[in-house]
Amino acid sequence: MKTIMVVEDEKTIRDELKALLETSGYKAILLEKFDNTLENILNNKFDLLLLDINLPNVNGELILREFRKKSNIPVIMVTSRVKETDEVLSMSYGADDYITKPYNPTILLLRIANIFKRMENNTSTSYYDDVKVYQNKGLLVKDDKELDLTKNEMIIFSCLLSNRGNIVTRDELMTELWNNEEYVNENALTVNISRLRAKLEEFGIENAIETRKGQGYKLL
Amino acid sequence: MKFGKYLFDKFIEIVFVLFGYIIILMMLFAFKVPSEAIIGITIVFAIICIAVILTGYLKRIRFYNHLINNVDKLDKKYLVLEMLNKPSFYDGEILYEVLYDINKSMNENVKKYEISLTDFKEYIELWIHEIKLPIASLTLMSHNQKNKIDKRYEEQIKRIDDYVDQILYFVRSENAEKDYLIKETNLKKIINTVAMRNKDDLLENNISFIVEAQNEMVLTDSKWLEFIINQIVSNSIKYTRDDVDSIIKLKVEEHSKQIDLHIYDNGIGIPAKDIKRVFEKTFTGENGRNRSKSTGMGLYIVKKLCDKLGHKIIVKSVQNEYTDIVISFSKNDFYKIKD
Repeated sequence: MKTIMVVEDEKTIRDELKALLETSGYKAILLEKFDNTLENILNNKFDLLLLDINLPNVNGELILREFRKKSNIPVIMVTSRVKETDEVLSMSYGADDYITKPYNPTILLLRIANIFKRMENNTSTSYYDDVKVYQNKGLLVKDDKELDLTKNEMIIFSCLLSNRGNIVTRDELMTELWNNEEYVNENALTVNISRLRAKLEEFGIENAIETRKGQGYKLL
Repeated sequence: MKFGKYLFDKFIEIVFVLFGYIIILMMLFAFKVPSEAIIGITIVFAIICIAVILTGYLKRIRFYNHLINNVDKLDKKYLVLEMLNKPSFYDGEILYEVLYDINKSMNENVKKYEISLTDFKEYIELWIHEIKLPIASLTLMSHNQKNKIDKRYEEQIKRIDDYVDQILYFVRSENAEKDYLIKETNLKKIINTVAMRNKDDLLENNISFIVEAQNEMVLTDSKWLEFIINQIVSNSIKYTRDDVDSIIKLKVEEHSKQIDLHIYDNGIGIPAKDIKRVFEKTFTGENGRNRSKSTGMGLYIVKKLCDKLGHKIIVKSVQNEYTDIVISFSKNDFYKIKD
């Protein structure tokens, strides 16, 4: 399980972030005291740092700069400042991503997932049982059989695959599609899912996607 | 400065001098001074008089013409004293010093308002960062309580956030300081951010969102442009028609000298008589009055931000057919900065 360190001085946001991250399958460490912020951060072990820019006593951008001298762990800067200069400064100090408050929680999770995917370097291929999934090519390969998926179908399939066994809501699928610049509507999503089902069935994977009424979909 | 008027102004002095001359003349006659001497004295007297009038006039004409010309030429007329030499005649010195004092007092006054305006602006910016925290908390809370909390709550939170942004960019657009940063930005990326922001509204209202863009790069401040596009798209969502399937289409067209972003919708459009005024402050027009409450500030801020960033913005619309807002970004290699 990946551990995410949350450095945020607003208690409500901190607690809600912890709840959000934990329901999404991450472990969250919270920083509660802000006297020796940098040391306190470095004393923990984690895989990703969510760092607020407005912190008591110290500026998050300076922490980021000092942190980068000692560690290569990915950092996402979070801020309520809506200024281009802050973003440019953060990125130049070595942040991996930059999000402004209030953010859509699903987008935050997507960004986190993207960074982990990038780190593991397996964006292009993954496995569904004995089926090889080439995301970039939109291709499923089993033995010597190949199945072509459209971009939308592939996005839906990979989203279900990375949450295999769990329910993925329609809203989450929608967010993932829109985030990939596929601005589909509710009908189109339904059509895409039934087409994906039909294709998978033809390919020999039967009843893989389960519909949970009022909740979403689950890849078995 | 006219000589005639100056002479007229010196009328009383001249009358006195003539009066004195006549008395002297009478005295000279009384003492039976030879007429050659009288003529000589008269000539000398006349020369002295003319010399006195001329030197007074020349001193003043130099100063005043300089003053008048400079006031005419200057854009900021209150700076005129900086360009003048201190005059060498007494009444001019008084004027110069009084003007100097008036100027100083006005500058202090303006400074006072400037400071209070900057304070106010800083406070607004600070306040906005603060208000964003509870908004962020609420967003997270309603997301974490998804089963219990309706989607409508999130929509209302988004509305609050949009209104808060409007104040922020209003303050930024009104202020003379330059607090934007222009760099090469991918239009598609900003469009995507706006799409994500309005996703729920668009889906809820069954509006098809269509984007036709390659990876065009424009020179802009991405945060400002995001606000601009978001404002326009929000309007398109607000003013849809019931009798057609609503669409909002964002199309990027590359021309030789500029890149155009069209934000097109097939909504209720703008009445021809209102179209020229949509960018005016607090102008609401027929649509604003009839449909939903509108402050008339959105497009005004959009226009001001576009002006500051140097983007052209125009509106084309036919009532009950469409609205097409075009933002043009000029291509200028000179500004190209690699980040």
